[in-house]
Amino acid sequence: MANYLVRRFILVFVMAFVVSLASFVLLYSAPGGPLEQLVALQSTTRRPDPDEIERIMKRYDLDLNLFVRYLRWLTGHPRGPIVIGGQEVFGDLQVGCLKEGQARLVYPDGRVVEINCAKPVFLRDLAERPTGNGVIRLDFGRSQQLAREQPVIELIESRLGNTLLLMGLSTFFAIALSIPIGIYSAVKQYSRFDYFFTTLTFFGSGMPTLFTGVMGILVFALLFQRLGLPYLPAGLVESNRDAVVPLLGTIKAGSFADRLWHLILPVAVLTFFNLAGWTRFIRSSMLEVLRQDYVRTARAKGVVERLVILKHALRNALIPFVTLLAGVLPTLFGGAIITESVFNWSGIGRLFINALVASDYPVAIAYVLISTFLTLIGFILSDVLYTVVDPRIRLS
Amino acid sequence: MATTSVPLTKPTAPVLAGARSESQWAIVLRRFRKHRMAMISLGALMVVFLASLLAPVLAPFPRDATGLAPRFSPPLTAYNGQMHWLGTDHVGRDFFTRLLYAARITLSISFFAATLATLIGMTLGALAGYFRGLVDSIVMRILEFMASIPDFPILLIVTSILASRPESLPIPRFVLDAMGALMLLSPVGNERAQVVVIIVVLTAFGWISAARLMRGMVLSVRERDFIEATRALGASNARIILRHVVPNAFPPLVVSYTLSLAGALTAETALSFLGIGITDPTPTWGNMLQFATNFMLTDPWVPLIPGLPVVIASLAFNFIGDGLRDALDPRLKM
Repeated sequence: MANYLVRRFILVFVMAFVVSLASFVLLYSAPGGPLEQLVALQSTTRRPDPDEIERIMKRYDLDLNLFVRYLRWLTGHPRGPIVIGGQEVFGDLQVGCLKEGQARLVYPDGRVVEINCAKPVFLRDLAERPTGNGVIRLDFGRSQQLAREQPVIELIESRLGNTLLLMGLSTFFAIALSIPIGIYSAVKQYSRFDYFFTTLTFFGSGMPTLFTGVMGILVFALLFQRLGLPYLPAGLVESNRDAVVPLLGTIKAGSFADRLWHLILPVAVLTFFNLAGWTRFIRSSMLEVLRQDYVRTARAKGVVERLVILKHALRNALIPFVTLLAGVLPTLFGGAIITESVFNWSGIGRLFINALVASDYPVAIAYVLISTFLTLIGFILSDVLYTVVDPRIRLS
Repeated sequence: MATTSVPLTKPTAPVLAGARSESQWAIVLRRFRKHRMAMISLGALMVVFLASLLAPVLAPFPRDATGLAPRFSPPLTAYNGQMHWLGTDHVGRDFFTRLLYAARITLSISFFAATLATLIGMTLGALAGYFRGLVDSIVMRILEFMASIPDFPILLIVTSILASRPESLPIPRFVLDAMGALMLLSPVGNERAQVVVIIVVLTAFGWISAARLMRGMVLSVRERDFIEATRALGASNARIILRHVVPNAFPPLVVSYTLSLAGALTAETALSFLGIGITDPTPTWGNMLQFATNFMLTDPWVPLIPGLPVVIASLAFNFIGDGLRDALDPRLKM
């Protein structure tokens, strides 16, 4: 077990490293970086100003060579010359180039070196520029487009609550509903109840949330409002002004009732979608278990049917469900990208999409990195949970 | 639950001369015909397919012509003596016309993405499962890697970078020309390159499930006695794989292919809806839906026009997959 966990954690770090490297490459090869924007902005009015370009290059580390830039992005180091016992070492190690061309360096000891760079950047110069804490300490840099200069992590924190609320509630409802429905469908296989829910779940998994969301808004928000029925809001996290709803009375903007009112439709759409997949999953896993010999044995020795189902069958049927729950962890953070977009829900998923549409790659990369990390953790968790719920399984 | 299936083996018993026998595919066809929803779905898809094929003939207006009638004219509006069957969109383009062209583009993208992904997955899965060793461990590592990353966000970010700058992907000229001709795209601008980028990205993220399925099937088939017998008769590896292993692993793959058509369709729609995939003026159901939802509060009927085809096509592929599953392997019946 310990052995397994160590190996698994090593794998996580290798994966995290690969993904961080890929993210970094994406981040800097992506179109619309800060420099490109500046040039585009200026070329419409005047020629690019060399000082301005240099300032931007310094500001975003664009002058440094790729390896140093990656290190600084990932760890926040190096921040200047390395000092050992009051002695500066590697202070004049060249780490980048601000301007192409030729230059001659004259060292204090009289050495003269010709280099292919008009304005070289040395390790010593890094002490003067502001440095982040690095991705490993959750400093993902600053937003370039959505909220200029605001730290990415602050942007994410400001949206996290909304996403956790939406995803937490819909996951809870989906689990709470799918387990009993799945069990009952399996126990009463081919009954009317079973046919109804099998059909419903088929539609639920076949219809994209994009469509169910839009249909939900059309019916429960727009149509109900026009018919004078108690309607639901068409989107957003809370209202901008007080709303008068038939039968429900006045809902004050920003109140608890208002937030609850806004949650109903998106939570329902997501619950419906998850419910479809999970119910099918529980049903088929339950059907599999009910066919086993030990269930027949339990029945034969006269155990009450309710106990056979809940104790002998269900416990075993839920084992594969654990894997499914592992996938929940990253979505709790990442939100439902499409549902949040349909409902203008100011959560993390929508932040990600807005960042992509606006080419704000630091924000988008932060989202991907955190999601990846949580996905990996989810995998380990599910493996460990497996051994907890099923002692037959040993990790090695 | 296709992954747990055991494939049907070919009937090997000699057939008595003169006795009426039904071939395996005839049985499958007969069983499939009994699945009512699958047959209805097949009919619905045929209609959509034919309509998109005949788009240039059926469409009453040029694809991108704006201001044909006042914006958001309701369906069945006649304007300047010409009928707009489904009304007009936010810049007065004919909805019916754009829906037909969009069907052609969306269906083609789903077809190519799902087909390429399945072919690549099949090939790699078969090689990995049959030869084991180095190929297998490489393929397995890639599969593991892809399973432990959040694929939808990464698909979105890659698409957003490539689709906004499609020239960064070296696409052969003839591919662009062929796709342009197939989907009736204009050679000016980066319309054609965008479509190819979407196909490439969806393929790159779509082959995983087919590869895993194929590998599992091959692993179970290759240990069977008839493979041993074939090898004893001196058949080459290529012959064993193509003539014996692949056909035996076929039934679940057909089902997974149908479902991956639905997957590619909804993925493309989602990408275009989110404004990251194919962008206006190239019509797809997804980007039409995006504009439609923006004006939903004032014109609530608009989202239904691009929305219904999406859901009909997606459900149809699912039903056909379900029908095929029942027909190919009755033991897998849900």
